[in-house]
Amino acid sequence: MLFNSIEFAFFFPVVTAVYFLLPQRWRTLWLLAASCVFYMAFIPAYIFILLVTILIDYAAGIYIERASEEGRKHALLLVSIISTCTVLFIFKYCAFFVDSFVGAAHLIGWNLPTPLISIILPIGLSFHTFQSLAYVVEVYRGNQKAERDFVTYATYVMFFPQLVAGPIERPQNLLHQFRERHTFDHVNVTAGLKRMAWGFFKKLVVADRLALYVNDVYGAPQNYNGLQLSVATVFFAYQIYCDFSGYSDIAIGAAQVLGFRLMENFRTPYYSLSVSEFWRRWHISLSTWFKDYVYIPLGGKRVGKARHILNLLITFTVSGLWHGANWTYVIWGALNGVYLVLGSLTKSWRDRFFAIFDLNANTVSRRTIMLLSTFVLTCAAWIVFRARNMGDVAYIAGHLGRGWNFHQLSTDHFLLRQFPVAVASLVVLEAGQLLQGGRISIPQFVGRAPMAARWAVYIGMVMTVVMFGVYRKMQFIYFQF
Amino acid sequence: MKEFAYGTTVPGEVEYSVAAEVERERRLGDTASAVSPRDSVLRLAFFCALFIAAAVLMGALISTGLRSVKTSSYGAWNRVMQGRVNADIVISGSSRAAYHYDPRAIEAATGLSAYNLGRAGTQTDVELAVLRAYLEHNRKPLLVVHNLDAFTFVMSREIYDPALYIPYLHDKEIYEPLHAIDPELYRSRYVPLYGYVVEDMDLNWVTGLKALAGVNPREDFYLGFSPRHKTWTDDFEKYKESHPNGVAFAIEPAGIRALRDLILTCRDNGIPLILVYSPEYREMQQMTSNRQAIFAEFHDLAAEYQVPIWDYSNWSYDGNRALFYNSQHLNADGASLFSDDFARKLYSYVVAHRIGSQRMAADLGEPSTGSRP
Repeated sequence: MLFNSIEFAFFFPVVTAVYFLLPQRWRTLWLLAASCVFYMAFIPAYIFILLVTILIDYAAGIYIERASEEGRKHALLLVSIISTCTVLFIFKYCAFFVDSFVGAAHLIGWNLPTPLISIILPIGLSFHTFQSLAYVVEVYRGNQKAERDFVTYATYVMFFPQLVAGPIERPQNLLHQFRERHTFDHVNVTAGLKRMAWGFFKKLVVADRLALYVNDVYGAPQNYNGLQLSVATVFFAYQIYCDFSGYSDIAIGAAQVLGFRLMENFRTPYYSLSVSEFWRRWHISLSTWFKDYVYIPLGGKRVGKARHILNLLITFTVSGLWHGANWTYVIWGALNGVYLVLGSLTKSWRDRFFAIFDLNANTVSRRTIMLLSTFVLTCAAWIVFRARNMGDVAYIAGHLGRGWNFHQLSTDHFLLRQFPVAVASLVVLEAGQLLQGGRISIPQFVGRAPMAARWAVYIGMVMTVVMFGVYRKMQFIYFQF
Repeated sequence: MKEFAYGTTVPGEVEYSVAAEVERERRLGDTASAVSPRDSVLRLAFFCALFIAAAVLMGALISTGLRSVKTSSYGAWNRVMQGRVNADIVISGSSRAAYHYDPRAIEAATGLSAYNLGRAGTQTDVELAVLRAYLEHNRKPLLVVHNLDAFTFVMSREIYDPALYIPYLHDKEIYEPLHAIDPELYRSRYVPLYGYVVEDMDLNWVTGLKALAGVNPREDFYLGFSPRHKTWTDDFEKYKESHPNGVAFAIEPAGIRALRDLILTCRDNGIPLILVYSPEYREMQQMTSNRQAIFAEFHDLAAEYQVPIWDYSNWSYDGNRALFYNSQHLNADGASLFSDDFARKLYSYVVAHRIGSQRMAADLGEPSTGSRP
């Protein structure tokens, strides 16, 4: 079920109302049932795949905790990881690796027939697989007790607000919350609803409108001039940010209404002053997952310089592959790894360069240069991420600066009249982010206003989302991962 | 319990988390935190009710505004739905009708009033609905000219430019045929704002609100005719490349039924009808592999109901790219040339069939003597 669907508009209030009316002992079961309905709205049969993953890791957790020998624990952990990853591999990567193998064989003159493998990727498979894996590893490490109650564990994996696109929760943060008694708290509920409204603004008003332009241009880049390619690339940077962080906002807000606290997933990533900072602010639940379960086990930075570089490259390349079974994602991940490596290697040079102009780390000029250069590097990487194939990447990169024609800016599905709306939505987005928690806090200012004025503002805000949103049953981009 | 924390907080960054947000809300000094669950639910319900009322009001304002537009396609359509056309000759059809037939040329040649009902993005099913709505709200015309296309027998798959019709969904002549095309159209009719914000992505609701303030769009319709000031592009070459084996347009039984219904509608109302195949770019005609079959259907229906067909497939200028802007549509220059040709022929037809002689005589207060304007 999509958050931006009429079905969800009925589903969520009903689930919330029943949740708070039920006695505590039935609430988790109710959430599990609701999560099943939510997931089955996509492809019902795929719930069985989810069930397999849940059963494997539920049993693994208990057996790992019971095992007294370290070797046996380790073996059980491996069995669990391999089983869970096999499910992921079959549904997500099988066709990709087979095609790549056939392609590589073709290059050395070994002509193999291309098998037709057509499997629909279960929605959010990578997300709940990683959440499941986090649980098993934490039990193995002794940081989390194995969950004996199957309903609670299944709800931990399937909790509908974050089931299909995260945040990828850790058991230490989420599991215990299913045992807590959540009361219907007005502050919590209204804060959650406001958070959801902000998420809907990001998704419907910003992301989905920009998507109309991006889809046209990236769908056939050869038909567009350099200006359109550049605008589409910047638009995509905002589209993917608003699409994904909007989803996270809705998920966190929906969970908050029910009394749950999910982790933050984004912290205004485009305000980063370096690529490494960007990755501390972007998709935090995934980047910390890779840090905790891939990068640090590989040795992190407590190894030699060469090995550290290799660790970074491996972590980011695997992260790219996590995003999708396509070489563009792999290269996108690797490119970010290269950015980090180069950023680390050239830090002293950059400091010396800025020192020539007497720009220390806190000067506005230096921060502006770093912010813009980080944004440009990120956009360059987004080209690889969004393009259909590497041929398109080469074409777009080679034509960004060519043939700019200000009279030819619109596309088939994005007429000139849509630009003011798109630009205004970006201004509102940035203003909203800058003012959130700033010295002049608009939420606090509005919160202190008389009720009539406050409500007028809230209704105006919801009406703005309704009136300027785009409703084309567009899925959230990260669902495909 | 201590909140589980991830990641590194960037220096100078404002920490944002659910717990911090709730804490901030509680510090507001509002009495919100003391609100009982019952009062909280009541407040939320009241908020929803207020929002729905605001949405209903906004929807009504937009509809009223769109119905008051005097120019553009909205103005042309409003005149039809508000019974302010009452022309002697009406032209119906798709965008090819809207862009090809200039009623001013027809009026000048025949002396009868004329109006163009052509609608961009429509098929015969919607064109029939438009004609029926016209007949419902206006005086019966003396003659209907219906433009045919190669895709006449293809049924509509979606409603093009829905904002045009939403203000008039209470009109059954419009609602029922459109509902048959899109079964979810009831949402646009009954859910406030749904049609304007969900079905229409082009923000046409802004046009409605501007019209309330007296701001009308630029006028580009003349008695329903919309001349296209455009030139030929290389789109057709791309189209040819992508269709090396030509194209075939479906002949759907429902499409045949729709054209038959249109003919019967005219006959039942006692209105003479002429079917016209207006000019189409020559190469496109050659590319249409089932053109003969489509025309055979046209001729069968015409023979069955004894309706004349005027075929401009061999128009003298149908290979002149200066007069077209794409394979299906004449530009303003082409439309002017074609309208003059067509109006001359129509004048002869009007005279020969004494169309309008009685009405003209009545208008002039004279006995009917003939049809010369």
